[in-house]
Amino acid sequence: MMSDRFDSLLGQGLAILFALGLGALVILTVDESPMKVLVTLLNGAFGSPERIAGTLLQTTPILICGIAACISFRGGLFNIGIEGQLFMGGFWATWVGFSFNLPPILHMLLAMSAAVIAGMAWIAIPAFFRARYKTNEVVSTILANYVAVLITSYLTINIFKRSGGQSETPPIFESAYLPELFSFSRLNWGLIIGLALAIGVYLFFTRTSRGYAVTEMGANPKFAEYGGIDIRKQVFLVLIASGAVGGLAGGVEALGVHHRFMEGFAPGFGFDGVIAALLANGNPIGTIFTALFFGALRSGSLLLEVDTTASREIITVIQALIILAVSAQITIRRKASDSTAGERRWKF
Amino acid sequence: MSVTPATPLAIELKSITKRFGAFVANEDVNLAVESGKIHAIIGENGAGKTTLMNVLFGLLQPDEGEIWIDGEKKSLPNPAAAIAAGIGMVHQHFKLVPSLTVAENVFLGMEIRKGGLIDHAAQIKKTAELSKQFGLQVDPNERVGLLSVGIEQRIEILKVLVRGARIIILDEPTAVLTPQESRELFQTLRGFVAQGMTVIFISHHLEEVMEVSDTVSVLRLGKNVASRPTAELTKSDLVQLMVGRLVSFDRLPRTPTIGKTVLEVEDLWCRDERQLQALRGVSFGVKAGEIVGIAGVAGNGQTELAEVLSGLRPSSHGSLKLNGRTITGLSARDIRAAGVGHVPGDRLVRGVDRNASISMNLLMGRQDQSPWSTHGIINRRYLLEQTQALIKRFDIRTRGPESPAKSLSGGNIQKIVLAREFTGSADCLLIDQPTRGVDIGAQEQIHGEIMRQRDAGKAILLISVQLDELIRLADRILVMFGGTIMGEISGDRVDEEEIGMLMAGVVPEPRPNQVGAA
Repeated sequence: MMSDRFDSLLGQGLAILFALGLGALVILTVDESPMKVLVTLLNGAFGSPERIAGTLLQTTPILICGIAACISFRGGLFNIGIEGQLFMGGFWATWVGFSFNLPPILHMLLAMSAAVIAGMAWIAIPAFFRARYKTNEVVSTILANYVAVLITSYLTINIFKRSGGQSETPPIFESAYLPELFSFSRLNWGLIIGLALAIGVYLFFTRTSRGYAVTEMGANPKFAEYGGIDIRKQVFLVLIASGAVGGLAGGVEALGVHHRFMEGFAPGFGFDGVIAALLANGNPIGTIFTALFFGALRSGSLLLEVDTTASREIITVIQALIILAVSAQITIRRKASDSTAGERRWKF
Repeated sequence: MSVTPATPLAIELKSITKRFGAFVANEDVNLAVESGKIHAIIGENGAGKTTLMNVLFGLLQPDEGEIWIDGEKKSLPNPAAAIAAGIGMVHQHFKLVPSLTVAENVFLGMEIRKGGLIDHAAQIKKTAELSKQFGLQVDPNERVGLLSVGIEQRIEILKVLVRGARIIILDEPTAVLTPQESRELFQTLRGFVAQGMTVIFISHHLEEVMEVSDTVSVLRLGKNVASRPTAELTKSDLVQLMVGRLVSFDRLPRTPTIGKTVLEVEDLWCRDERQLQALRGVSFGVKAGEIVGIAGVAGNGQTELAEVLSGLRPSSHGSLKLNGRTITGLSARDIRAAGVGHVPGDRLVRGVDRNASISMNLLMGRQDQSPWSTHGIINRRYLLEQTQALIKRFDIRTRGPESPAKSLSGGNIQKIVLAREFTGSADCLLIDQPTRGVDIGAQEQIHGEIMRQRDAGKAILLISVQLDELIRLADRILVMFGGTIMGEISGDRVDEEEIGMLMAGVVPEPRPNQVGAA
């Protein structure tokens, strides 16, 4: 078990190094020094307390989305619709935030609940069809993403648009704000929520009987069924839980960062979360670190265009290379091991 | 060799031996297949049929022996060489591209070209011609994804024909077919031999072999134990050859401990994956302190019986009672809770999570019960203690409770399953193929453990395709054939002849209230 875990960590690490090496070659083609880019990235991400806070601010939604992905992975399911759940969660948290005027904390909690419920509602249909008819959840959740983005955009522009200028909703009341952690940054309690969730989900899967049942369903559904686990019910619940956390990510962005909802509300956080979770092998604790890695890339890239000739799009290139290297590495390892076809395993 | 060739031999295998490590899959097999005949190869699962055919098709290399085709010695390093020698193989699992048409699938990899492009018209024409010539009805323009399994098989056969095969091997071709589709297939095969081709047909279904073949070879434990004209054999002869003579009537000593009826099965019916009737009105009872054996050639409803009894497969009719309480239609979870333990036949698929640790495998099914968990939190210390105790008690050879199941040998993996199922509160144990693929030493231990459970007053249903295992353990033996129970035999008075006939679906002497199969 230990050596398995070490092997998978080593493999993952080598894949990332390989991707970074390829990224360096790409940087060379635009006549820039890879070393300078790296230093600039690090400086941009961690160069000052403000920058570290900025990195953590980017890390938070990726982490929460990553945990949503971990939950589904552990049950052998792929919720790729986290982006959509995040948009829905963000919009409805905002709606509660500007539509009602309630006491502080209570207002925030209510808005956050709205985000969670919206996330659950948004995955309910794919979850039902997966549980009842084995409809491929990858396809249905991806499709639901587009619908979510367009619906929230429609609601924002046509129904709830703030009077004057921007395509955005009215701001939420301050009573619904998620409190900030420091005076110098928008970094807020969302990060603490994310870290607590990561630990909680990890303990749930490793220490509780429910978590055990989900784990075995993901590892060997026939064994789980034989052991008396109701697969249909559990598939539904796992996807709903994953969607709830996806919605929560939207709530955190809306109440902690933007304090309103607008078009392009969360650029790709849902997808980055899925990748962070994959990179961490579905382990919520590992996802803390992979999310931080992606958060640092995003936040460091802001300085990239100022200080170097490399475009910040280089970050997208590096991310793509990492995905490629990691999936190649997983495929190779799966072929090399004796595991039967279709068997999925998320170790931690 | 018991066959003296009247006609030239299409294939002659001489002393083929194939080993996988220490396991001998084929041992000194001689096989003579006459040209223009349907030659059936029959044997239990694991008798070495598929290995032998893979050797003949160039997929495996024999360790010893020679392959002669049409009177010429050949070496077949790969399937391409076998195809060049005129051999074609239709595998059990089809390899077709669903989004392509029938004709495109037939010519996949050997497309007819015209000016660098695929000549679709010619492919469609050729497919239609072949289809007509051999009576394999297909529409060359249809997309494969839309077709039934029976038609997919026709396409696989056409693929083989278009590559010029004159000797066609079919590996358990009827396993996926409905009876109607099977009859059509047999018609086609007869058409082949009428046109001078040779067919090798692998099966473990007696009727089919009797119905379609000219000659039959029986494989048992990797050896060819007989090759004879089908007309000279009866179904009971075939069963006897497949199962073998009973070498040992090594019955474990026992004291009568029989108590009240625990499991009652009445008029049970169910369907299999193909929606065919797998159980046709099965009724029996199992008492406390009794081992009831289920004998039969694999595929006569035994697996389905175990699945229905454990709640993994729905029944279509009939009732199940446990300790007088009806458990028909309950979920696997509720049947477990009612007191049924289950040692599944496919233990690597259902019995364990191979990647999980021994302790996590032992937890399955009781993760919600105290003291294994309290308020939903797994009691890790208790689990570890129990795992260590069970490793000791069942003599599971491992490095420790956290070792993954896959690091253990087959026999030790089975001991994990027994340790879990035998230590619960179950009154009734369903045990399916307890020693399949298990070494002799572990077999002894497993048999001993089953007897201990019997003596402790458990009601045990033991399903096995190994007769000697049933004789060793069972108090009485029910013989299944075609989804029904053909007869009952007392464990201490087993007559080989009688059991062989029952397994072949023949009732030895007429009895009232029992229907003999045709």
